Amino acid sequence: MADPVDVLVVGGGSTGCGIARDLAMRGLSVTLVEQGNLTHGTTGRMHGLLHSGGRYAVSDQASARECIEENRVLRDIAGHCVETTGGLFVQLEDDPDEYFEQKLEGCRECDIPAEVLTAEEAREREPYLTREVKRAIAVPDGAVDPFRLCVANAADAVEHGARVETHAPVTDVLVEGGEVIGVEVEHESGPGKRVHTKPGTTEEIRADHVINATGAWAGRVGEMAGVDVEVRPSKGVMMIMNVRQVDTVVNRCRPKGDADIVVPHETTAILGTTDVEVEDPEDYPEERWEVDLMIETLSQLVPILSEARTIRSFWGVRPLYEPPGTGTTDPTDITRDFFLLDHEDRDSLPGMTSIVGGKFTTYRLMAEKISDHVCEKLGVSAACRTAEEPLPGSEDFSVLREYMDEFGLRSPIGRRSVQRLGSRADEVLKTAEPNPVVCDCEAVTRAEIRDAIEGAGSDLNAVRIRTRASMGNCQGGFCCHRMASELHPEYDEETVSAAWDELVQERWKGERHALWGEGLSQAALNYQLHGTTMSLDREPAVADFAAFDSGTETATDGGKSDGD
Amino acid sequence: MSDAESTDEFEPVQVFPESEEMDLRPGADDCYKCSTCDSECPVAAVDDEFPGPKFQGPEQWRLKRKDDTETDDSVMSCSNCMRCDSACPSGVPLSQMHNTARGSFVENQMDKLSREYIRNRILSNYGTLAWFGSKVPRLANAVMSSSVVQTVNEKVMGITAEREFPEFAEQTFREWWSERDGATVQSDEKRVAYFHGCYSNYNTPEVGKAMVRVFESFGYEVMVPPQKCSGTPMFANGMLPDARRAAETNVAELSAAIEDGADIIASCTSCSLSLRQEYPELFDLEGIEDVSAHTYEALEYLRIHEDLSGALEESEVDPRKFAYHAPCHARNQGLAGQAIELLDGVEGAEAEDVGDSCSGISGTYGWKEEKYDTSMKIGAEMFHHMEEAEPDAGMTECPTCAMQMEHGTGYEIRHPLEVIAEALVE
Repeated sequence: MADPVDVLVVGGGSTGCGIARDLAMRGLSVTLVEQGNLTHGTTGRMHGLLHSGGRYAVSDQASARECIEENRVLRDIAGHCVETTGGLFVQLEDDPDEYFEQKLEGCRECDIPAEVLTAEEAREREPYLTREVKRAIAVPDGAVDPFRLCVANAADAVEHGARVETHAPVTDVLVEGGEVIGVEVEHESGPGKRVHTKPGTTEEIRADHVINATGAWAGRVGEMAGVDVEVRPSKGVMMIMNVRQVDTVVNRCRPKGDADIVVPHETTAILGTTDVEVEDPEDYPEERWEVDLMIETLSQLVPILSEARTIRSFWGVRPLYEPPGTGTTDPTDITRDFFLLDHEDRDSLPGMTSIVGGKFTTYRLMAEKISDHVCEKLGVSAACRTAEEPLPGSEDFSVLREYMDEFGLRSPIGRRSVQRLGSRADEVLKTAEPNPVVCDCEAVTRAEIRDAIEGAGSDLNAVRIRTRASMGNCQGGFCCHRMASELHPEYDEETVSAAWDELVQERWKGERHALWGEGLSQAALNYQLHGTTMSLDREPAVADFAAFDSGTETATDGGKSDGD
Repeated sequence: MSDAESTDEFEPVQVFPESEEMDLRPGADDCYKCSTCDSECPVAAVDDEFPGPKFQGPEQWRLKRKDDTETDDSVMSCSNCMRCDSACPSGVPLSQMHNTARGSFVENQMDKLSREYIRNRILSNYGTLAWFGSKVPRLANAVMSSSVVQTVNEKVMGITAEREFPEFAEQTFREWWSERDGATVQSDEKRVAYFHGCYSNYNTPEVGKAMVRVFESFGYEVMVPPQKCSGTPMFANGMLPDARRAAETNVAELSAAIEDGADIIASCTSCSLSLRQEYPELFDLEGIEDVSAHTYEALEYLRIHEDLSGALEESEVDPRKFAYHAPCHARNQGLAGQAIELLDGVEGAEAEDVGDSCSGISGTYGWKEEKYDTSMKIGAEMFHHMEEAEPDAGMTECPTCAMQMEHGTGYEIRHPLEVIAEALVE
């Protein structure tokens, strides 16, 4: 058996990857295991808001202050994952003045730069805002790509010596002599990069300390160790629009409510959300009322949304936590703060710490706190450097390039590629080989796909989240097979076909919730193309229609495919 | 967007002069990437470097963020034939996207001192050039047809020496109109305002005269309001401020004519398409929607309001066979079959449709030295079909299609109105 590592991190979301990077940079030996792809859980299912803290400025000022600090840090260290869109809290004619004043006051108390805009100024910034706007508060909200940010953290952890294993669900937490000494994982296709069709193995990984950073799944991992972690998963729907109707984050300025935010995200806009407590983070109904509610409510704010095309919908589960005995009934009232559960203090079970609650924007801070805690336990004195060291891709870069001369790419394709790749653009895009566009909708070229395959094995969903290929207008109708063909000849036909099927299945999963208007036309065209020219309608069925037909039945995937 | 008038529904945001940000991203919602536009694009068919209308339009727009002003330079290879508009099964505003992107490219990325810009500016302001030329038509014709001038044009200006410059008429349509003291028929009920455009004014006044004779024979009072270029060559060259200035005059003058009870008719199908479609898509001017709604192609108008086919049944012309080419811009207005159907009823006239290909010249496009070969490759199919038809003459509504037809085959080219006038009036 291999020597024990210093720390084993369970969970490849933003927090887990942030912890792995932090500890690896401090010189510890770290292994991270994730049941699906990186971002498989909640990280891959969020609306991509980089909070200014404005949303918490009235209800939770401690979180608001953390948000604005971390917002500034991420702009520095993760520039290529962040778009500094700015945000607006928009008050409509009938929205309460009192809350508007509280919001403004709250922002000022938390040192969040806030400027009041008149209705005209707000509509000048965002012409598609309703004319019912009374006024707005401008704050430094931003948009962040959770996939690239998470992958960049993991890549940097690996750069600093960490081992990252995806598609490696924990099957047991090993407890010996009243102490957690490691975990048992099942490598679905053996250790290392995922390769479809390769037989699985199991491995016991021993560690001086285990960190449970599994978010909404923390209760399950706790259970394997025999401790209670009272996570209260709460689902929320998000809807992806085909184009950006707004280039600024638009929040409704009124007390908490469903469907009150539109976030410009890459080429799309994401509408959110609902907040409903669920029992099981993997098995909950995805309901039509949630989808309808987004459009109905948010079109009051941005009327063009009622006419606009939706390309898919997805649900995420918040890993909410509250200390035992708090007894909050409404999930929207549960704190968004994070909690570090030292199981030695709490449950007399040394060797394991859980981190629960919290939010994406403050992932780095959470990682820093838990890393400090673990270092103290392990007697390591190295300091955290994650707030200063840029992530790979965010070392000085500029999107102002001569795309045609430098990369042989047409300008919008070059621009989008460089926006995604940041300072890695030269390394990835400068190639002597022909570099055709593989995904037209998102302007992803072959070179970028190949770079992602290098990092992700045969897993096309992992390629997708790294590049955005198949995440655009046609939802992979015209590019899934092109992506798959890039796996060849490194991978054989059987592997390529399995990877391709999985990608097509995953795309369909979210499209099912947008089957009207042009979205329906698109799905029909994709089906015809895939069925008639690629025989993807052969048995076994590519799409799980039965799961959809039942209406409120869930069609979750049991960890096979990831994110949206 | 002007706040006072706008509604909350999607409407294009005004381009010039207040704002360069016309947001057409929502137009990409209608695209499901089927690529029918690409397969119908005549430029993409012969130029492998041209990425096609799907890229130029919905893809490029969708990839934009608010502050992205950069447009790929390939938009200058689009000829603005607008076939993609009618190809699209889903109503994507392709030509509007192309026109706007091209305008933005010229505004933000083109060197205003470059040969290409100066040449394009001159070509797109053909009306101004023709105004000077028509002051001294014989001299201008002699100069423009000299091979020395043609060579200089090509070397210095990038205007191809392969083509014969169109001759200026010795008397413009407007000169003829004022010489005859305007309308000879007065009517309060039946009134049309003629948008003659540049070409039938300066180069082929016989088309305008034919139009007047035909309409007067049906009892219409013809008005000829002051007017400027319809904007077609300006759109195709991304010269949107020029087009807007011309549109301001045209919309004001044509609105006044509508006020006087007239509908607008044009003999050039690109002029009518511009007033109908491009004006409201690109400019936000008082009355522009009204002008759009009241504009017709001349024969289309008669077919709607008069029994034109009935009148032609009695008619006869000297026996002649025409090889008819429907201009892309006529096709976009649903007029591709009109001339053939009408001439079918005229004793003596025979018209054969030479197919649905593009002539390739697309206004000023085929005049550019670097586009000449592309233009001729696109035209090859039409030339072939014309020769197969073994006609006595060619026929089309579009002046530049006519240039291309003549250039590629040597046939003389007539306008359907000329034959209709011969049938009905002479």
